[in-house]
Amino acid sequence: MLAALFDSSVWTAMAAAAVAAVASVLFLRSRNFLYDSLALAATEIGLLLLACGIVAGAIGSRLAGGLWWTWDSRLTTALIGFLLYAPYLMLRRAIEEPTRRAASAAVVCIFALFDIPLIALTVNWWLARRTVSLPVSAGWTILPVSLLGAGCAWIRLRQEQQRRAQDAERRTAQEI
Amino acid sequence: MSAVAVEGVWKYYGDYPALRDIRLEAAEGTCLALIGRNGAGKTTLLRAIAGFSSAQRGKIKIFGKEPREAETRRQMGFIGHGISVYDELSALENLTLFGKLYGLPNPKKSANEWLERTGLERVRDGLVREFSRGMRQRLAVARAFLHEPTVLLLDEPFTALDDRAIAVLQRLLREGLAAGKTIVMSTHQLREALELATHVALLTRGQLAFHGARTQEMADDPGYVYARYGEGA
Amino acid sequence: MKYVRQVATVAMKDVRAELRTKEAINASLAFALMILLLFSYTFDPEQEMMRQVSGGLLWIVFAFAGTLTLNRSFARELPNDCLDALIAAPIPGSALFLGKCFASFVLVLAVELVSLPVFGIFYRVHWTPQFPALFGVLLLGTWALTIIGTIFSALTVNIKLREVMLPMLTYPILMPALMSAMRLTTSLVNGQPIPEDDFAWLKMLIGFDVVFTAVSLALVETVLVG
Repeated sequence: MLAALFDSSVWTAMAAAAVAAVASVLFLRSRNFLYDSLALAATEIGLLLLACGIVAGAIGSRLAGGLWWTWDSRLTTALIGFLLYAPYLMLRRAIEEPTRRAASAAVVCIFALFDIPLIALTVNWWLARRTVSLPVSAGWTILPVSLLGAGCAWIRLRQEQQRRAQDAERRTAQEI
Repeated sequence: MSAVAVEGVWKYYGDYPALRDIRLEAAEGTCLALIGRNGAGKTTLLRAIAGFSSAQRGKIKIFGKEPREAETRRQMGFIGHGISVYDELSALENLTLFGKLYGLPNPKKSANEWLERTGLERVRDGLVREFSRGMRQRLAVARAFLHEPTVLLLDEPFTALDDRAIAVLQRLLREGLAAGKTIVMSTHQLREALELATHVALLTRGQLAFHGARTQEMADDPGYVYARYGEGA
Repeated sequence: MKYVRQVATVAMKDVRAELRTKEAINASLAFALMILLLFSYTFDPEQEMMRQVSGGLLWIVFAFAGTLTLNRSFARELPNDCLDALIAAPIPGSALFLGKCFASFVLVLAVELVSLPVFGIFYRVHWTPQFPALFGVLLLGTWALTIIGTIFSALTVNIKLREVMLPMLTYPILMPALMSAMRLTTSLVNGQPIPEDDFAWLKMLIGFDVVFTAVSLALVETVLVG
């Protein structure tokens, strides 16, 4: 059960990464901030799911064999994936100016997406001796997990749009 | 076709409009003084014209072309707040570097010429970090004029210049205008700028409050434009 | 050819400026030697384990020391607003970027080539027999480090906490390249040729270099001008 949850969360997180990257490209083309908010929402939810998945995976391996971390290739890939996207959030926090922030974040998102398959391959070669183990035991849990993910992302997107509108009003008000 | 054309430009920082519907033109061979209080958007507008940032709405054309095109960049000289020369290199090395980047046929020769024209020929091999402030500023001017640009964009060029540097810059700008160069210059130093300016534009909170020819009243009393067209007028 | 000259002009400028001040290169070298020394306390050079971790250790040293140099790449343009002048110059953004990449590449490689003999002496590994292949791996791995480090140096040039953000962004992305380089180096630095099985790692490293050079060049204008 925990393994299924882990696999679902990994698949959903990968879908989120793809959505974020596409949104980033669309933002760079159109400079429409909706896409920036979408990329942010997708990445945040993806990271959250990944974190839950990693915890679930660790608990699972502890229950199964007594060890918290067994260097399982899928779990390790998920962890590196988390470390790959976490700086995205840090970067956003470090840049004040909205356009620059969105553009820089978009670039990071695109780089990260290209890295995912390379990381998956490398970790698999390193740990599982040249066999690529895909997270296939997701089963039915993938549906509720991805719906949950999409729902949270949608809420986050609305929240981000509202925050931007408030920011704009505040700046206009300040100048008057 | 005017040298610099700003057509309905809006520039946003996020959702906040720093420039609102700016429409102005500078004809070839004129000198436009861009005045306004701090935060009015002078630097933002100049940097947008120079191609450092893009406007979200509207167009900017330099001789009918985009600011970022290579040909336009070749014809453009910019002096910003910094001197844009390297402390670790000598004056000659700096100018030769920019000469090469601008594709000049004989970078070293042009570099030496401009060192003479700005009175820096005796320190040509000195490292910039050892220069006095005035010398650094004269080198910045040399860098901007080195490639014989036809359009000069200057952001508060007279601020914190020493007398010798002011004299050099004023001389070069006058010679440039006489030779048909176009100058757009933002400034707080109204007196020096209004001597050279043929046109004046006043920016208030990102909007153009006035744009027209420089009149005698303006030259006589630099505060005139603010009083007549600025806020609280 | 004009493009090549432009790249060369930017690269020469960076190398000349760095050799004048030697800020980054001194820090980088000192850092590399310090880590090598510290790690030698942890391992007994006679043990077999030393041989196994040698490749990994070497690349940790190179990655950390290299970041000090790469951080300077665009940061050196900040004083006096030199970056403005470079962006305003009529050279393509990719030429500016590649020029800086090549300059950093040379500087980082220099530190690596000095660290290698020191490594050999402290850790008693015989790296000379396979030096040509080892040098090849150094070139490929250093290019990966350089390309990612330079593009993110450009991205983070104007933000606060730049020194923190640069490593945070570069190391996760570099993992496939670092892992591949570590794997390949481990056998080479001990005087063994690359085993048949491990050629996949070489392909991964080359693939990484190709993919991310392409992505960087595609996005460089956005990063520079915004």
